[in-house]
Amino acid sequence: MAAPTKKVFEVFVSKIPWTAAGKEMREYFGQFGLVKKCLLPFDKETGFHRGFCWVGFSSEEGLNNALQKDPHVLEGVKLQVQRNRRPLAGPKKDSEYD
Amino acid sequence: MAALLRSARLLKFSPSGLLQITGTKRNGPPLGRLYSGAVGGRRTGVRSHQICPVSQHASSRLWPYAPGCVRNYVVATEQKDEGNLSVRSKQMQQFDWALTKLDFSVRRTGRVTKTLLLRIFHDVSRTGYPSGNQALLLLRSCGALLPELPLEERTQLAHRVWEKLQELGAQYDVSHYNALLKVYLQNEFKFSPTDFLAKMEAANVQPNRVTYQRLIAAYCYNGDIGGASTILGFMKTKDLPITEAVFSSLVTGHARAGDIESAENILPMMRAAGIEPSPDTYVSLLSAYAEKGDMEHLKQTLEAADSADCSLMDRDVMQVIFTLAKAGHQQHVPEMIERLRHERGYIPDAMNLCLSLITQGQEDTAFTILKTFPMQHSENFNDTAVNMGNFFLRHCISMNTSLEKIAYYCKELQESNLHASPLSFTLFCALEAKKTETSLELMKLLKEQNLPVRSHYFWPLLTQSLKESNTAAVMEVMKGMQELHVSPDVETLSKYILPVFPSIEAARQALKSADISLDSERFLNSEIRSVAANNLAELYTLLSNPSFPSLDLSVFRSSLILGFKKSTDVESMVKVTELLHKDVRFSKESSNPADAASFFLYNLISSMSEEQVQEQEDKLRSFLNQLHAQNVTISVNIFRGIRNLLESYHAPELIKDVFILVDHKDQMSNGSASASGTAHVIGIEGKLVALESKLAELKAENKPLSVILKHLIQTLSAEENLQRALELKQQHEDEMTIGGYATLINLCCRHNNMEEALNLKREMSRKDSSVALDAGKYIALVKILSLNDKVEEAVDILKEMKEKEVVINDTYTTTVFHMLNAVAAKSGVSAVRRLQDTIFTLGLAKPNSNLCSPVVTAYLDSKDMPGALEAALECQKRYNQMPRIHDVIVGLVEKGDTDLLQKAMDFVSQERGEMTMLYDLFFAFLQTGRYREARKIIETPGLRAKPGRLQWYSEKCIFNNQMEALEQMVDITAKLFECDRDEMYTYILRLCKNTNDWQKAEAMWTKMQEENVIPRERTLRLLADILKSNSQEVPFEVPETWYAQAAPTRDERDVEYQPRLITLCKKGKTKEAYGMLKEVDKKGVALSPLSYDHLLRSLLAEGSIEDAMVVKDIAQSRVPGFKLSDSANNLLIITHSKKGQIKDALEMLRSMLQLGHLPTHLAITRLVQALGNHGDVAGIQEVETLIKGLGTNPNLSSMVFINNTALAHIKNGDLESAVELLEGIYTRPDGTGSSMSFVFRKILEADNDKALDKMSAMAERLANHFACYRPVSDLFLQLLDMDKVEDAKFMLARCNAVAEQKEMLLSFVAQKAQSPGQVGKIKNLLSLIPDFTEKEVLYPYIMKCHVMDKDLPSAKALHEQMQKEGIVVDELSLKRLAVLYRKTGEMVPFPEPPESFKFYADKLKERAAKAQATAEE
Repeated sequence: MAAPTKKVFEVFVSKIPWTAAGKEMREYFGQFGLVKKCLLPFDKETGFHRGFCWVGFSSEEGLNNALQKDPHVLEGVKLQVQRNRRPLAGPKKDSEYD
Repeated sequence: MAALLRSARLLKFSPSGLLQITGTKRNGPPLGRLYSGAVGGRRTGVRSHQICPVSQHASSRLWPYAPGCVRNYVVATEQKDEGNLSVRSKQMQQFDWALTKLDFSVRRTGRVTKTLLLRIFHDVSRTGYPSGNQALLLLRSCGALLPELPLEERTQLAHRVWEKLQELGAQYDVSHYNALLKVYLQNEFKFSPTDFLAKMEAANVQPNRVTYQRLIAAYCYNGDIGGASTILGFMKTKDLPITEAVFSSLVTGHARAGDIESAENILPMMRAAGIEPSPDTYVSLLSAYAEKGDMEHLKQTLEAADSADCSLMDRDVMQVIFTLAKAGHQQHVPEMIERLRHERGYIPDAMNLCLSLITQGQEDTAFTILKTFPMQHSENFNDTAVNMGNFFLRHCISMNTSLEKIAYYCKELQESNLHASPLSFTLFCALEAKKTETSLELMKLLKEQNLPVRSHYFWPLLTQSLKESNTAAVMEVMKGMQELHVSPDVETLSKYILPVFPSIEAARQALKSADISLDSERFLNSEIRSVAANNLAELYTLLSNPSFPSLDLSVFRSSLILGFKKSTDVESMVKVTELLHKDVRFSKESSNPADAASFFLYNLISSMSEEQVQEQEDKLRSFLNQLHAQNVTISVNIFRGIRNLLESYHAPELIKDVFILVDHKDQMSNGSASASGTAHVIGIEGKLVALESKLAELKAENKPLSVILKHLIQTLSAEENLQRALELKQQHEDEMTIGGYATLINLCCRHNNMEEALNLKREMSRKDSSVALDAGKYIALVKILSLNDKVEEAVDILKEMKEKEVVINDTYTTTVFHMLNAVAAKSGVSAVRRLQDTIFTLGLAKPNSNLCSPVVTAYLDSKDMPGALEAALECQKRYNQMPRIHDVIVGLVEKGDTDLLQKAMDFVSQERGEMTMLYDLFFAFLQTGRYREARKIIETPGLRAKPGRLQWYSEKCIFNNQMEALEQMVDITAKLFECDRDEMYTYILRLCKNTNDWQKAEAMWTKMQEENVIPRERTLRLLADILKSNSQEVPFEVPETWYAQAAPTRDERDVEYQPRLITLCKKGKTKEAYGMLKEVDKKGVALSPLSYDHLLRSLLAEGSIEDAMVVKDIAQSRVPGFKLSDSANNLLIITHSKKGQIKDALEMLRSMLQLGHLPTHLAITRLVQALGNHGDVAGIQEVETLIKGLGTNPNLSSMVFINNTALAHIKNGDLESAVELLEGIYTRPDGTGSSMSFVFRKILEADNDKALDKMSAMAERLANHFACYRPVSDLFLQLLDMDKVEDAKFMLARCNAVAEQKEMLLSFVAQKAQSPGQVGKIKNLLSLIPDFTEKEVLYPYIMKCHVMDKDLPSAKALHEQMQKEGIVVDELSLKRLAVLYRKTGEMVPFPEPPESFKFYADKLKERAAKAQATAEE
């Protein structure tokens, strides 16, 4: 595991179809750059994910590539992708996907 | 909107066409009946004894609501009044919430979900003591509003609600029985009407017209004409009118009895009786044919309805479709579908039809309906595909529709491009409903279509089994996965499968025996994750085993974090971390294990929330310290990251524990934040000079007298002494100030002395040409000039205003309006027009409909309709305003000028849209009594309720006492889309209240039941008020006087005692009541909790704690589980506190909090004050901790604790501590705004000079050294408040910055103006600090004081003074003044502002907020 870099190149993705899980998200966002982390919280009660996800790229380039593309369509559904405004505000939930 | 307009156009609406109808009908004889005859409108019935199902003739005599015919209600039991306030207010909020929630649901979708309804039901049950309208709301919702529930289930639910609420003490009146009947009808529930009547009788509830109507409907539904006739007989004996609803039922009754001919004959019979068959009647007949599948007659009837001008709405047609499908005539459905017009509200209605059909097993017909839904075209091609029919698929799943059918529907939807992924959506629904079998089947279908099936699809199914620890269910899902060739991934295994087994080994065994194969590496990973999350000791054993393979930390990092967060096993935590720190097996080859471990620490802290870090602070500290002991180190970077996290969590204490982990080589320094105080710089010199000069003026002899002159002129002006003022001016021309001139000019204008006003203005300009008058005086000048036919000069004045940039603000806009109106009345159209145009072109004021209206008014006054219309239209073109368009249209309708009306309508529709035009026309028809035409308008397809406009017209009717128009409007809008019926009936009731017409009010209540309207509490209260003030019995439970029985076991005799007991309490004869209770108790009679509670509270209110405790004991022995109500508890705390029994009070508070009850602010405050009085510092601290521990600390100022602690110190003679405490507060950056008035008041009251000296020295010190003026101002105002004016004056002299505390001074004024008799204190303040704020701000408060004191002479004087000084009197003050005039029995000499107090108060607030915003810009 590499030492932490100071900056986080993260996007916040919402309106994710239920059919996609972390693997699909990583695959999809992998086309823009190396995905360093992908956090798609699942709800322990329902067994479905909550519809949003944080995707972190290892470089700013990946982030910019992802932001430049519009629309993002996954499994026929349009995703909403935006720069993650609060880098440290990742979920403090007990569910995680690493 | 587009959809709406489309449908509106379909009608090819032409107002003149309607008028033409009026024209022809006006000459014909039936006209009177058609549009103004019956008071009851459509629902007017005939006298019942003259019509019965067999009689072939009926009287055409109209029979309006017979007063008294529905009067015999049962009177709710005499146990009203004085409910537990807190429960009641909670209940009211709850009702409002529930009503809004349900109403929103019904409006949006036309239905209610079971979940929502049950949730509200449970909430109501939990709170206890349900109110009447809560019960009504719940009951009503158990019928057709639940299309997703099978009929039997709905009725069961209704019965559950009925019984539960009754058990909880809900009072049922006739409206509840009627609602239950409606639910029975909607749920096709078979019941015996006679039993039902018997049940009502047993409950002593009298049936009313609506009850009978519904019972007839019930008989008719079963084809029991005999039964229906019996009920008709009842109605006959009671002289109740037979309405069209009864006829509609009879149609069904005959048809169901197999006698279709008699059914058909009902229609001519109705007409003979003077009642037009309504859409409902036709629907009854249509349904009769539909049940038989007789399409020919069905179509004939449809045509008959059309030609009878009875338009069937989509909802009506849908009912026929539903009947066809249920009777097994699906093949005819498409023919009926063609009849649907897709009105507004089509989609929710059609959705509900689909849902009902699916619920009742008619899914194929439902699918046919679904396909009629309009396609929603996505505007953006790239946008997500629009998916239609989700609701359909979801309901199919919940109704367990067969999979073949579902598969077929999915295929159809996808092939017709209505849905992009119907199958996966259906799967989603099945998973959501946790239907394992269906879900697995659907996944097979997905696979057949080559769609992916992923591991996480199984999670929703697994979560449920996991929660229930149902191993068998997990195995079943796993088998399903295997059949689908989906191999569970690490995540699925570790999170959803393994945890259900007692151990990893058990899992391995179980899977093996079930023949489920698993990837070994995955299984290992899952195992590690599972262990990491649950057992750190075991994890260490596993990992530290040298034979354990290399495994990257990232595989189990998050599980490990979870484990660390949960675990209290610090030792294992340290061991695991140490292992990670050293062992290369757990980090990627390229990186250093120490880095990975320290990054893990960062991740751990980062994943914790602020609360978690704070809760686990000790654990973390011990963990970190032990890590240090094991020589685990972290880099500076990681330290920085963790430090930032800890800072943001407000846990800085842990930072040093992390810091010691940092390598000593590169430890670094820590920055510190520097606090900086801000000091206020206050220019007090200017104020001093002003004050001094004013003093000097008082003695002025040889000094300039201009100021005195000004004052004199102002005073003269106040006395309206124009002549003397002018003389003075002439004597002292040189000393005249601009202010003096301004006052004089205004005075001249008031005296209509135009010449002199102009002279003065010229003189003033000679002195200083740049000077400008204020807007009010300019407007006065414009007015006087225009009224004297000098319009051009007036225009010049307006131009001057523009040049000198005089601003006409909101208040002056009203002045301009009045000025224009005066000019319109006197000088005619051309003058107004000239002024109005000038004002707008110069931009002095923005055109609004008020300012535009005088021109139109001028035309209307001269009865020049074409002119008025032209003027209104021109205003629209030029200023986008349509002033008085309602009056214009009314005028045109009255004159019957169809051409002009058409022109007006075209114009309105073009400019404002068809909706506005239709409403304008609707109101004009109502206003002119053309109700038939008005009804036509409301039936326009696509029209929806515009609450604002309906309110506007209703208020107008209420104001002008137009009952007929109002009632017609309410009747006509019965089926209007989205019309708030309760609101509409409230308008009528308000007018009833004004006219004191209780018969009408009562008739409205019956009509509300007929319409199934749930009255809001305020409506019921209003109705009860009207009935009560006419000494009528109130036939329902009034929410205000709510209380119910909780103890069903109570003795019958309680009914006698309770009212007497409560009456005694209320009359203040508490002792007598107490004696009575003891007597009653000796007889062994248990009273209701209400009685006990009531007496308890009365005793407490008198301070008789001992007696209260006796009552409490009695109550607890009689009523199991009797608890003091919240308010009694609070009273008890207060009483204890007042008596100085602080120990008991404190104990009471503790036990209250333990029971989870919230004490009121007052109780807490009284207790803390009592503790302060006793010098009990520790006690205050305890209360503070208790209350703050609640977390929900409801706006209780922290100063309550601080001030009383300070007082406690003072009480103990420890002045130093008091000073230290308060000084500490005020020197804190956030503490400068808190008030310590209370402390000052207490020491002043106690005449504690020593403390006062200390405290005032402290206050002055704070002011002089720390620029903190709050304490010194508090003291100053407290002195004033206690009428120690001299002391206050000295205070001010020592610390004159007080004079600068404008906000505080003003809030003192505002606060004093809240209660009567305080004007003297405000005057004292003004005498010390004369002009700390503008008069515009101050006067309204003083006015409020005078009004409060009911001091009309002073108020009058102030009003005049304000006028003299040219200060605009805001509407709120005017309104107050007007009310005072009226109360004193004098005529109000000015137009009273028409709106409510709140309206003007809000307006002022809004303006203040705006001014604030602009000031800040």
